[in-house]
Amino acid sequence: MTIEFEQSQTDVLILGAGGAGLFAALHASTLAPDAHITIAVKGLLGKCGCTRMVQGGFNAAMAAEDSIERHFMDTIEGGKWLNNQDLAWTLVNEAPRRIRELENELGCFFDRNPDGSLHQKAFAGQTFDRTVHKGDLTGIEIINRLAEQVWKRGIHRLEDHRAVELIRSKDGSGLAGVLMMDMRTGKFRLVQAKAVLLATGGGPTMYKYHTPSGDKSCDGMAMALRAGLPLRDMEMVQFHPTGLIAGPGTRITGTIIEEGLRGYGGHLLGGDKQRFMATYDDRAERATRDIVSRAMYSEMRKGNIGPNGGLYITMKHLDAKEVRTRFKGMVQRCHDCGFDLVAGDVEVVPTAHYMMGGVEFASDCQTELPGLFAAGEDTGGVHGANRLGGNGVANSTVFGGIAGDAIARWLPDHGVFREPDLDAAKAAVAATQYPFRIEGGHMPAIREKLYDVMWEDAGILRDAGSLARARAAVDDLHGELMRTGIADDNRAYNLSWHDWLNLESQILISKVVIEAALVRDDSRGAHFREDFPETRDLETSRYTKATLADKAISITTEPVIFNRIKPGETLLSD
Amino acid sequence: MQTDQISVSIWRGGEDGKYQTYRVPRLESQTVLDVVTYIQRELDPSLSYRFACRVGVCGSCAMTVNGKARWTCRTHVSRVADGGAITLAPLRNLPVVKDLVVDMAVFFDKWEKALGSFVGDQTRDQALAAVSPADPRRREASAGIECIGCGICYATCDVVDWNKDYLGPAAMNRAWTLINDARDVARLPRLQAIAGDNGCLGCHSQQGCVERCPKSLNPTVAIAGLKRESMKAALKGELS
Repeated sequence: MTIEFEQSQTDVLILGAGGAGLFAALHASTLAPDAHITIAVKGLLGKCGCTRMVQGGFNAAMAAEDSIERHFMDTIEGGKWLNNQDLAWTLVNEAPRRIRELENELGCFFDRNPDGSLHQKAFAGQTFDRTVHKGDLTGIEIINRLAEQVWKRGIHRLEDHRAVELIRSKDGSGLAGVLMMDMRTGKFRLVQAKAVLLATGGGPTMYKYHTPSGDKSCDGMAMALRAGLPLRDMEMVQFHPTGLIAGPGTRITGTIIEEGLRGYGGHLLGGDKQRFMATYDDRAERATRDIVSRAMYSEMRKGNIGPNGGLYITMKHLDAKEVRTRFKGMVQRCHDCGFDLVAGDVEVVPTAHYMMGGVEFASDCQTELPGLFAAGEDTGGVHGANRLGGNGVANSTVFGGIAGDAIARWLPDHGVFREPDLDAAKAAVAATQYPFRIEGGHMPAIREKLYDVMWEDAGILRDAGSLARARAAVDDLHGELMRTGIADDNRAYNLSWHDWLNLESQILISKVVIEAALVRDDSRGAHFREDFPETRDLETSRYTKATLADKAISITTEPVIFNRIKPGETLLSD
Repeated sequence: MQTDQISVSIWRGGEDGKYQTYRVPRLESQTVLDVVTYIQRELDPSLSYRFACRVGVCGSCAMTVNGKARWTCRTHVSRVADGGAITLAPLRNLPVVKDLVVDMAVFFDKWEKALGSFVGDQTRDQALAAVSPADPRRREASAGIECIGCGICYATCDVVDWNKDYLGPAAMNRAWTLINDARDVARLPRLQAIAGDNGCLGCHSQQGCVERCPKSLNPTVAIAGLKRESMKAALKGELS
């Protein structure tokens, strides 16, 4: 008899090592110093996830003239009143303390004014300059400093480890642990834990053009859904207007070049090399992300495109020296990839950037499954229908820290090793090994088709017809994936196996996005229905809630609770 | 000269292994990471490599490209293809997991051994320190702070090759940024941690790290700074 998996135990298992996972590890180890804490990540600690990729910065009401209430109102207005108001309130309240913790306790150094005080910059959609930053590489500073502190604490690391399935207790009453795979060997291990934090990051990587890190493939959301948890607001996928496009053969396609270029005066040009934004919005290139993305998509649909199917951004009418100085990182990045951002036209395309939706969770990061906590982009409700630039890293770090605190406080009274459902673990091992039993098929073609379907029929502009096409096409792709195998010659660091598993997660979550988008028959925030272009009454707003049962996704809607403020009201006195 | 195809020789296996050669179509926009991806997706699904961010932020995808350590996501094929040929190997000075994947644990352990993490005496309930960006020490710290921990300097350093206990350029570069951080309170323990032949005295100023750093940082200058400061502290008897 072969042993299907080894077993081990840890008090706290954290899945993901971005801003949420690392903060949770630090906070849990501070409040529960005797707890055995393990952090698992698909690559190397400190190098995965999207917190590291943050360019813009971190919103926090730190200035005397700013206020928590103002940040809250901006977040709710930006979210088109779909936010869970308690979550948004927690975000804005905790953000300044998290900045002080990052600086005073962890060693981040954010940009200063000449007098030594903190510099905070303007960012779209906000009524106050509150974005804390470190140049245009804020995320590197945050994750480097967090990773160092995690190394120092001796927190147990499972690097190059993939989380495969959340395993409930035998009696089904709670979470018993997580089935993991050591990617370096391809072997399985059931890690029993008293508490598990889901912090793998979402990441809309099922779209043809996408910004997130390559390790992200919606695994956390897929595992949560399969474990019976509801996902909310899944139709809300944010597109950023300016991703590089250089053909399907390069991984650079989809990666972001920053918003500040448009703010500084950069022009967007069609394939005909003419500006077009002024016909869509008075602010032209400086309109908000959603408006610019929709305008660009419309131009692309008209066929006004460049050789790779995109449009252009150009800075060549601006002072070259200034562009080089202000956007050093972006100029260098483009140069390395063969593009001239200073004197040329760089081909760009709107690119899928962030998922506002995710696992439903409470302000203390508990989910409805006892023993499972969640934080960061795996969760939904904080941002509503649209996320403000600068609220993403605030979300991951604020709620990661809260999760660590909450888990440490929860352990003494509730922390037990539940007896795992070993049959469920065995079934998950069998499902993960499934592609080794199949021969034939061509996986890269499935991925490319999924990219196209999601981009064309479930992307920036949608209607009932396109979403119905997407539903049928993604169902077909799932069937095709199940007929596509992997050679079982060497399971160690077998990226093709992981590509298959990534695709399985991406397909499941694509289906959820499509179903939620079909149910939301109005347009708001990131979700635009061409057949329902208006926003319905805000007072009766409802949010979508997706669940999985017997392999079928069902969507219900729930009323948004306006427990802090109602549409039309404000918390601001002036 | 641009040809239609490139010939790519890649290290296959662990510490023991051999090179295997593939023919890859040449594209206009094509990085070395794209070449590796093409081989894994279309020619040999068993090829192993590591990457994450795709844009030079995470430092996961560094490899040895035609004998030199480079990040591969930002290395355009046109700049390295030598007569239409590329040879790829895992980073030097780190244990090979498989093919192009290395185990970086020792690199991060040394970062910690050099006390490469901040020690402050303020808390989250206190205001931020007022530090002028023009302050000379802050400028010194800022000059080295954008390290992404890709390990390229470590793989290039001959001293690491000779002395497995040598802390290496990246760890000491981080230590130097902390020595210059006015908010940090672990100056002496840090100088003790980086003193000696496994630390700053081990550096022979060959500057391979400076030449290869994709972020244009200068660890040699940082290490020289550490030598100076630890010498001063030793003369004052602070390191004993």
